[in-house]
Amino acid sequence: MSVKTFAAIDVGSYELSMKIFEYSGKDSMREIDRVCRRLDLGSETYATGKISADKIDELCRTLKEFAGLMGSYKVDGYKAYGTSAIRETNNSAIVLDQIAQRTGLKLEVLSNSEQRFLDYKSIASKGESFRRIIEEKTAIVDIGGGSIQLSLFDNDTLVSTQNLRLGVLRIQEVMNHLNVGSSRLEQLVDEMITAQLSAYKKMYLKDREIQNIIVVDDYISPWAVRRAGSGKEESTIDAEGFEELMELLRTTSKTELARKLDVVEEKVPLVFISAILTRRIARLMGAVKIWAPGVTLCDGIAYEYGESLKMFQGEHDFEQDIVACAVNISKRYMGSRKRAETLESIAVTIFDSMKKVHGLGKRERLYLRLAAILHDCGKYISLVNIGETSYDIIMVTEIIGLSHKEREIVANIVRFNHSPFVYYEQSMGSKAMGRETYLTVAKLTAILRLAASMDRSHKQKLKGLKAVLRENTLFLSVATMEDITLETGYFASRAEFFQEVFSVTPVLKQSKSF
Amino acid sequence: MKENSKESGKGGKTKFTDPQYYTNRELSWILFNRRVLGEARDKNIPLFERLKFLSITASNLDEFFMIRIASLQDMVKAGYEKKDIAGMTPVQQLAALDKAVHELVELQYSTYNRSLFPALTQSGLTVIRSHEQLTREESAYIDQYFEENVYPVLTPMAVDSSRPFPLIRNKTLNIGAMVRGKGSGDELEFATVQVPGVLNRVVELPERDGKRRVIFLEEIIERNISKLFLNYDIVCAHPFRIMRNADLTIEEDEAADLLKEIEKQLKKRQWGQAIRLEVEAGIDKRLLKFLKRELAIEEENIYTIDGPLDLTVLMKLYGLDGFESLKTPGYEPKAVPELPAGCNIFDEIRKGDILLHHPYQTFAPVVDFIRQAAADPQVLAIKQTLYRVSGHSPIIAALAQAAENGKQVTVLVELKARFDEENNIVWARMLEKAGCHVIYGLVGLKTHSKITLAVRREEDGIRRYVHLGTGNYNDATAKIYTDMGLFTCSELIGEDATAVFNMLSGYSEPLMWNKLTLAPLWLKDKFLYLIQREQKYAKEGRPARIIAKMNALCDRDIIAALYEASAAGVKIDLIVRGICCLRTGIPGVSENITVRSIVGNFLEHSRIFYFENDEHCELYCGSADWMPRNLERRVEILFPVEEPALKEELLHILQVQLADTVKASVLQPDGAYEKVDRRGKKAVCAQDQFAKEASARAKAASAERTASKRTFTPAEHR
Repeated sequence: MSVKTFAAIDVGSYELSMKIFEYSGKDSMREIDRVCRRLDLGSETYATGKISADKIDELCRTLKEFAGLMGSYKVDGYKAYGTSAIRETNNSAIVLDQIAQRTGLKLEVLSNSEQRFLDYKSIASKGESFRRIIEEKTAIVDIGGGSIQLSLFDNDTLVSTQNLRLGVLRIQEVMNHLNVGSSRLEQLVDEMITAQLSAYKKMYLKDREIQNIIVVDDYISPWAVRRAGSGKEESTIDAEGFEELMELLRTTSKTELARKLDVVEEKVPLVFISAILTRRIARLMGAVKIWAPGVTLCDGIAYEYGESLKMFQGEHDFEQDIVACAVNISKRYMGSRKRAETLESIAVTIFDSMKKVHGLGKRERLYLRLAAILHDCGKYISLVNIGETSYDIIMVTEIIGLSHKEREIVANIVRFNHSPFVYYEQSMGSKAMGRETYLTVAKLTAILRLAASMDRSHKQKLKGLKAVLRENTLFLSVATMEDITLETGYFASRAEFFQEVFSVTPVLKQSKSF
Repeated sequence: MKENSKESGKGGKTKFTDPQYYTNRELSWILFNRRVLGEARDKNIPLFERLKFLSITASNLDEFFMIRIASLQDMVKAGYEKKDIAGMTPVQQLAALDKAVHELVELQYSTYNRSLFPALTQSGLTVIRSHEQLTREESAYIDQYFEENVYPVLTPMAVDSSRPFPLIRNKTLNIGAMVRGKGSGDELEFATVQVPGVLNRVVELPERDGKRRVIFLEEIIERNISKLFLNYDIVCAHPFRIMRNADLTIEEDEAADLLKEIEKQLKKRQWGQAIRLEVEAGIDKRLLKFLKRELAIEEENIYTIDGPLDLTVLMKLYGLDGFESLKTPGYEPKAVPELPAGCNIFDEIRKGDILLHHPYQTFAPVVDFIRQAAADPQVLAIKQTLYRVSGHSPIIAALAQAAENGKQVTVLVELKARFDEENNIVWARMLEKAGCHVIYGLVGLKTHSKITLAVRREEDGIRRYVHLGTGNYNDATAKIYTDMGLFTCSELIGEDATAVFNMLSGYSEPLMWNKLTLAPLWLKDKFLYLIQREQKYAKEGRPARIIAKMNALCDRDIIAALYEASAAGVKIDLIVRGICCLRTGIPGVSENITVRSIVGNFLEHSRIFYFENDEHCELYCGSADWMPRNLERRVEILFPVEEPALKEELLHILQVQLADTVKASVLQPDGAYEKVDRRGKKAVCAQDQFAKEASARAKAASAERTASKRTFTPAEHR
């Protein structure tokens, strides 16, 4: 493989940063340059919903410089992502267009769950250290300005992820309102977060014991990395080391801290809050080891690019994390695990056999799987309006790694699996998704519906399904001795929509093997 | 007991910060200039070289006046009374300087009059001191010279009650005259004319009896002055020269609040107040009185000179053709064995770090490095800091070429380099035109670091080649200044170098530095840490030693740390060319410290630091002196030299300098500098030895290459 270079740009709420990476072979992602400039877009967006012209000028100027630097490295590709400051801007389309016009860069906006997923991937970019640590029960604490994300790992797989409105800036804001002196800060912050975290513990953590915590933040991570010194891979802190930091934060003046921690003075209180948060979470979970690898969103973006180059084969399976997440949501709403598995398997079989016709890819296959897993979550609320209630549940539940739009796709597939399909031309809501996306929804809905009809009795009768596409007919053969009258009946009615979408007639054949 | 606690918090009062243990930096500077003057007085040195040294003391003193004395005078006028490192108020400093400078000037002229002038005559060059001593033919010759060459460029000015006193320009030589209007009674008027700087001040006369004769331009003008003021009778005419408070050059060593203070207090300050008046001995009293009144200059700032004003003219004498036997033969820098001419510098650097010692070794590889980078298709980007460059710098040309070749070229141009501002702006524009990205550094900080980075895309990825130096990227001064340079492609230094340029471009500093240490944020702490580490080892009875070479030492925190280390038993040897505020031989404070200064043909300029570190010695080079301005208000880089062979080489350089018995002066406990007592020691001149060593190494390398070329390659049977 020839050497590739890639630029990852993060337009964050308080900082613009770019890292340049080089990939020269398997597992050889190397950061070769990084630039970072403070630009507070967040305060303005959060307060007014807009980014002022001045800020846009400054943003464009810096991005243009970034583009120049990218050019000097002759990068093979780049990704530029905006996070919450851009996301929460009312006029984000205008902002993005201006950026494109003035800098030639295409800036994309990350939803919270995508951003968190990339943060999570950024940890994976640490390779071996990451794999070793998630073998034990581990939690990722991703501390941002507005919120924090708590993700739990069990046995190498992500099992749950939750967003809590406990970002350091948000907390600082509250503390500013309360006008507390630094002596009482620790106690008050702790009190405030403990209240929210207790709900989290009751709902999600339960009796799980967590050994390790991985912290992703801009506040205590730099300290931890520096503390570990250069050349060392791991920057883990034990309880004692953490208390050392707490003591330092408690007893040292702001100015002195700024010098000791090598941060700007205004950031010092944020370091303190981040530390209090981390300590409280660690105690809540009973974790003994804290690892702050000092990674940033850019590392995650670059890791994703590396994945696309097939750089990290045999590494952590992130798709499995998304699926695992969906499974857990389904479990929470008492969905049937067995039924979901059957449905998923049938749907995927149909999907795979229809590749030539539907022209969809790996990502869409994932939507289908997620829709199958979540297909009945609405039952938890109502047995009548399953379609609508499932849709609502999915739309308000974050699934890590999925963008808002992707989540909408999955939610719609589930909805139309139960409710009559609403055509693109019929609704404004569907138009908002765009024709292409809506077509994907239609295709996947058709497949899921057909699959659902084949397990109508929810008895998982259809085993050993084989699907073969010949000309305009999809032959689905099942080897079962059971009576499949109910399924055959439903199949016929569902086949209609399938035929409408694909112009392919599905035929169900039972091959009884005695 | 607690009182004696040696815990030295920052700025905390301890025994080691007691002002009595420090020397005032200005007085120390005077001592430095006296050491240079010592070279002019040294009869073992060729006569014309002595002229050069005397000339250097004169230009040094001019600069000292414009910057330091001006600044002190401002402080006094502003009523600023903060004491310096040695506990002296500005008033006290000025008083002490007044005496010291007058003594220095007297010594300059006695050197000229009693020793150099007669020696020149003896050697066949007569300097005619006044036009009255010219022969008739010579007079005719210079009168014609005046008519043809001088008269057209003169601008005579007369002053009467209706015309204001003209602006006499800083540092220029002028001839002032008292004149009387023809037929207008007794009233005296003042007239003046500037000795034009565009003409050579040394005018050679036709040879006489096989001896060469010269006269200075001001004498020629003086002789012909009546031709300039035709309607007047000349009563008297004498040369004079003034020095002004150079605008905006209040030295930055004092705190910023001082600057503001002065600005506030001196709102009414006249532009460029005259701070020194030099007049010829025997000047007419009426003329002197007039000048004194018009320039509003105090008695103590008037210097009555017995000899030619402005001795920098001696550099012109030095430049006369001939007299080669009275000059030290020019030194040709030698080839760097690791970098033979025509080699691919990148290939050579990949084989290992390369240390360069200028001017003994040639500066050409540094220029070639940039030239090759400019032409190399694999090079993506070149980044460099430029402080002072030479007039027709090949480096600038190469950078411009690189930009034209489509490389990303980033150049940090320091516009604030003293007295070089205009020059810098010109070539900064040129670079911009060529497509370079020119940046002007960080607000409020001078970028003094010398670093070049070439980013190269190689088969296995990006590789960074870095040059770090102690001296400016100036191919002209690299022949005169002693400096160190390092070529490396170490990944860690490469990363740091990238971060340095990102920082200079206005991006945030990196999370941490691998190898480099930067001022103003980290460097001082690093030095204090290194010094304190030696102190700790000394206390534990382990080997502890510091050798440091620099141009100036006047940072109080550093000196206090050195005192403390010395008191703990660390052996400290300092090689400080210029100002040194540290005092040696104070019982319980600095008994373990020696300070020596080397003043020689080459200007000692490199900064090298050695720390024993419990037998794991560490060696560093850098761009910073141990001065507050370097450590606190400049961007400077300290870099480690880590390859064992190169460390040996650096240590050797320090050791040879410590062994110098010819050009070294040692600071005595009483504050004076004395030449090394050579009894029982062989003569060692460090600069000569380095020159010989460089020559030998270059020869050996070249012989080896010739030898290897002579190996016949047998043809293979096909």
